[in-house]
Amino acid sequence: MSVYITSTGHFLPGEPVENEQMEARLGLVNGKPSRLKRRILQSNGIQTRHYAMDAEHNTTHSNAEMAARAGDDCLAQAALRPSQVQLLSAATSQGDLVLPGFGSMVQAELGLRDIELHTSHGICSSSMMALKAAYTSLKAEEHDNALVVASELASRLFKASRYEAAGGDPDFNAEFLRWMLSDGAGAFLLEKQPRGRCFRIDWIKGFSHADAYPVCMTVGQPSDAADLRSWQDFATYAEAEAAGALLLRQDVRLLDNIVKLGVDGYLKLIDSGHVRPDQVDHLLCHYSSHYFKSRIFDMLQQAGVGIEEPRWYSNLYTRGNTGCASIMIMLDEFRRTRAHEPGQTILCMVPESGRFNTVYMQLTVVEGEQ
Amino acid sequence: MTPEVKSEQGQACLRGLMQIWFEFERQLGRVPLIARLERGQFNRDDYCQLLLHWRQQVIEGGRWISRTASSFDRDFADVRSTVIGHAQEEHHDYEVLERDFVAAGGDLDALRNAERNAGTEALHAFLMYRASQPNPVDMLGAMWIIEGLGQKMASDWAERIETLTKTSGEMTSFMRYHGENDDDHLNKLYALLDRLCRSEADVKAIHRTARVTARLYALQLEEIDHG
Repeated sequence: MSVYITSTGHFLPGEPVENEQMEARLGLVNGKPSRLKRRILQSNGIQTRHYAMDAEHNTTHSNAEMAARAGDDCLAQAALRPSQVQLLSAATSQGDLVLPGFGSMVQAELGLRDIELHTSHGICSSSMMALKAAYTSLKAEEHDNALVVASELASRLFKASRYEAAGGDPDFNAEFLRWMLSDGAGAFLLEKQPRGRCFRIDWIKGFSHADAYPVCMTVGQPSDAADLRSWQDFATYAEAEAAGALLLRQDVRLLDNIVKLGVDGYLKLIDSGHVRPDQVDHLLCHYSSHYFKSRIFDMLQQAGVGIEEPRWYSNLYTRGNTGCASIMIMLDEFRRTRAHEPGQTILCMVPESGRFNTVYMQLTVVEGEQ
Repeated sequence: MTPEVKSEQGQACLRGLMQIWFEFERQLGRVPLIARLERGQFNRDDYCQLLLHWRQQVIEGGRWISRTASSFDRDFADVRSTVIGHAQEEHHDYEVLERDFVAAGGDLDALRNAERNAGTEALHAFLMYRASQPNPVDMLGAMWIIEGLGQKMASDWAERIETLTKTSGEMTSFMRYHGENDDDHLNKLYALLDRLCRSEADVKAIHRTARVTARLYALQLEEIDHG
């Protein structure tokens, strides 16, 4: 029994924001322009992105609302009525509320009745985990269909006032992601039979390496590396914030590992016969930055398992890096705008730097009845 | 610029060596001393212990490389030249390490009188044994791991140690200097891939020796916390 992605959807809030407009939207920290912005933007190659937050720092769409709008977009193109959805599998890095699970909030926004619910939590790979949970559920014949949604509202973490509350000027690791991440949501509908031109899921495989590496992307640790407290260990949340424990940080020193582990998993999948590089027609890789794309590309070329430039597809440069939603927003735009023929193979790759989890998926383009 | 690997066997060998290297990096990440370094809980004593245990292997490094060179016969004269050049550049490395140890506050006599730990014994014995075989093509795997580590030290560990011990290079010259050479050495190894991988058996032997070297190297570092 096979599982198919029969519809996709996306939601990107507001108008695209150009590089020159970013700082006005996020705010000047301590009234001063960032000295790192240009360098980081040059390296990641992103030209435009979307924010669910206006220049006064009012949230224009909640995270659950964005997820629901992507779900609506997906279902509006499907042969299925929303009332027929059986399973909702949702992913995000940070929901609007700490509790309950993100899925509950998204279900309410979507107005889906009597569904089974799954929420997966993590960073970029959490959407792939949500997708795998839905895929295996259908495989196990627990359900006939599933709606998978992933959404991110990272911009809330990037308000100038957040950095000011942590005192002083932000260090490189705390500021890095401010010029990388943005907001948006994506959705897939999974069914047990193909409909029209759609994608069969051949397999989804993940390799997590948290046992061998320290954390690389975090919220919850204070700025002082010697302070081992979690944000929840402080007497008040105000103290945690003052200690920098609510800032989103990337330990850039460790980032190179994500390139190596991305390549490592790919080589493993070649060894196990899951991937045949010469048969990959389209590669959709969620690299967070153009810099990493060229590193991965060079390494694969040298080892004789490269995938030629024209077969790579990404909309990172125009839609931004929306964390776990990226791969879904990417496949959605690919489906709508890129030629793909029945029988073609699509390889999706999501290396997550949080504590190093890399997830891969292979799709085959199929043509079912409408 | 890294030399291009052209042959299919050479590329297959490279893929395996990359995977063994990535796995080795994960093994290193699980070694208690290295995990402390990565987490930022590494002090000067840890560094002295690292050098103390390391020296016993570094001092023997010149020997297994020279042995490897001398085990290649005339058909591999070109390979022999590359390996001899490599041995020549490294056989006084331990003197730099000794100076670093003293600069870090270590006692030179203690360093010189220290015994090899269990991992070092095993690593040295294995490398000398393999290096003594006729035309030890598989030693490319051992050199891949050892040179790769040298590069990792220079590009990653040296700076990390300097940050954590609040020093500025006065006690990390072995790591830095060694790594500068190893960049060049690794390129020479890339160039050897097409030359040495002539059959599936060659590729298999190179991978096996790389894997064993990596495991024993990690064991050597694990032993630091057992001593």
